Amino acid sequence: MRRELRGIAIALLLIAVTTAVAMLLRHYLGILRGSVLYLVPVMLAGYYLGVIPALVTAVAGVLLSGYLYFAQLYSFRVASPQEALNLVLYMVVAVVVSHLANAARRQTTIARKREEEMSELYAFSRRLAAAANAAEIFVAIQNHLANLVQRKVVLLGAADAGSTDGVPERLRAEVARIERGEGLGRTVDDGHGNTWLIRRVSPKTPDFGSVAVDLGTAAGEALADMRQRIDDALADAAATLERLDVARALNEAKMRSETELLREALIGSVSHELRTPLSSILGAATILHNAPALARDARLHELTGVVRDEAERLNNDIQNLLDATTISSQQVRPKLQWVEPVDIVNAAIEHRRRRLAGHPLTLELDSNLPIVRADPAQVEQALVQILDNAAKYSAEGAPIRVAARPQGPSVVLSVEDRGAGLSQEEKCQVGGRFFRGARHAATTSGSGLGLWIAHAFISANGGKVDVESDGIGRGATVSIYLPASPDAAAPEGVTQEAVAQKVALREVMPRDVLPQRVMPQDIMPFAATPHIMPAESHIPVESRLPSESLADE
Amino acid sequence: MNEIPSSVLVVDDEIQIRRFLRTGFELDGFTVQEAETGGEALRAATLKPSDLVILDLGLPDMDGADVLERLRAWSSVPLIVLSVRANEAEKVRLLELGADDYVVKPFGMAELLARAHSAMRRQLRAARGEPVVRFGPLAVDFAARAVFISDQRVTLTPKEYRLLQILAQHSGNVVTHQHLLREVWGNEHIDDTHYLRIFVRKLRRKIEADPTQPRILLTELGVGYRLASDPPSPASAAPAAAVTPIGPLAGHEAS
Repeated sequence: MRRELRGIAIALLLIAVTTAVAMLLRHYLGILRGSVLYLVPVMLAGYYLGVIPALVTAVAGVLLSGYLYFAQLYSFRVASPQEALNLVLYMVVAVVVSHLANAARRQTTIARKREEEMSELYAFSRRLAAAANAAEIFVAIQNHLANLVQRKVVLLGAADAGSTDGVPERLRAEVARIERGEGLGRTVDDGHGNTWLIRRVSPKTPDFGSVAVDLGTAAGEALADMRQRIDDALADAAATLERLDVARALNEAKMRSETELLREALIGSVSHELRTPLSSILGAATILHNAPALARDARLHELTGVVRDEAERLNNDIQNLLDATTISSQQVRPKLQWVEPVDIVNAAIEHRRRRLAGHPLTLELDSNLPIVRADPAQVEQALVQILDNAAKYSAEGAPIRVAARPQGPSVVLSVEDRGAGLSQEEKCQVGGRFFRGARHAATTSGSGLGLWIAHAFISANGGKVDVESDGIGRGATVSIYLPASPDAAAPEGVTQEAVAQKVALREVMPRDVLPQRVMPQDIMPFAATPHIMPAESHIPVESRLPSESLADE
Repeated sequence: MNEIPSSVLVVDDEIQIRRFLRTGFELDGFTVQEAETGGEALRAATLKPSDLVILDLGLPDMDGADVLERLRAWSSVPLIVLSVRANEAEKVRLLELGADDYVVKPFGMAELLARAHSAMRRQLRAARGEPVVRFGPLAVDFAARAVFISDQRVTLTPKEYRLLQILAQHSGNVVTHQHLLREVWGNEHIDDTHYLRIFVRKLRRKIEADPTQPRILLTELGVGYRLASDPPSPASAAPAAAVTPIGPLAGHEAS
């Protein structure tokens, strides 16, 4: 009612302005037939103010134009039938125009609103599609609702995905009640004068959770009005959620995170449950093996050695399985530090000393290699896998050569054997998970995980693994390429911060080159790819040491 | 090998592990005391102090690191941590908390005994204030600030000497990168592991016969450095305590 009175007032104002303009035109330009001018305010009123103000404008316009333009100036009398007809026609045109203008206006508004809703809905469904877990889906739903009702909205997940953060303390009990399914919704005062509406998002699907909406300080009729709007918006949202099959998405997300948890639990328990008895077995075996009482009988002594070696092998297999699990779940996070490459080689050989015992070992280690930035444990584990393979696929007594040398911008750690070698085809498959040469399936035990693990660890550290072989029976050389770090020490004039920044950047880099979830179908023919390394020049580290910090006093 | 039997407190919740540790230590001449929980361990360490503590990290009642921290509040008993977690960051944390060394499960008895004897020697030396310590061919004379390899004096720079001195004071137990950096270069260089790498390389050139095959200054990958323990006595000799041979390996493993 008030809105309409305001509309009529504005309409009359429009008429007044039009009349003033008409009088000015007549006075200065001598325009005598200006009654069409009065269609302008009618149209404006029809478009912006609605039908009734437009009609008021039309009637006022008829009267004023009759007063201003017809026969007897400045009087309300109509002189001829022609003039009467004109006035009637004017009236009809005014009514029709105001109606049309109003309809056009309404349609524009509806079209704009629909467009906004569509784009909001589209954004919502896109967010839902991109959501990786239940929590993200809940955030998307919450934002969607907040947009719809234009109030503060807190979504409370049905399961554990939502949280009650942001909901005043006094509301929690009510929220819990609603979540338990007792009642569909009610309003609660939070104790600070604000009213909150709490209700289930969808009466049908409890998975969508419930929602708490801050209604502010509204009361009485306004509150009921607002509640109605929110109920409508929620009904819409619930329908949208049903349509977009959010329930299934939520379930899937929940299952995904449960699988993840199960995997972690499994890793933890395998590592503990298998290794604890293994520790007792291995520890006891080492004691027996060194016991003088048993050493007197060569056969018993040998047996204790077998127990010890096999327990060690079992431990290595468990380690491989754990590594493989870590890699498949994309959790290889290298902890980078400066490492002496020769130390890695020595540690790996030490780890596989017993395994390599049957092979004459030649070491060619450059004593002046650039130090590298890598995760020492991961690189060592990769090298251990390669050493294992060399020992496994070459005959007892066949020599193995291990080298560490600089090559271009890389440090290369290589293991060369004179063992079974690889065919051209095998060379391309050898990095794949569970790949084992068919020739060896019957004769040599193994999981086929070794090189795959090596490859994954080295890629995560920003390097690559390369396999060379002259063919079957002619041995193989497996090399690890690690990027040498030219900024191992701060050159003069470079501040510590700059070095720290560079280091920080480097720490980010290897994560980007993390292997994606590696599946059997992604068998990487890394042997065939050329060595691409960052084009950084290698300068011997010691020539660039900061004199003040490293030199002796 | 000890005239007065040393005593060891073995803290582990797994009975089989305690059992083999008991046998292993008894064969080496120790008297053994066992504890199953952290609480029991702390009680035992108070009531009947031992010469050595072997502490498992996964205890049912409290975190092994807590036991270590509480014990270190009043006791400097040599302590070796048993860990199933091959996690370098955790090893470093435990060493910084005051563990003398660690062994990762599963381990060989000889390895544990070597670590244990090193830790006890350190304690003994600190008590006696021995002026000269020997690690195979290496001798460090703390009084004269001099270093000898096979009785030949080696000229070291002050920082190189300091590095070797800290390692020698730890008597064959691992010393973390952070500790060495703090002691030699100061707190502000605690993350500059590359300084350490380069210094160790220089030092190895002076004291090792083959710097790429260190026999004296050994690397604990990702954790720190240690000086090689004295060659184990024949009674506890085991392959696990020996260092990697260079060149062609001996055909079959000998014990």
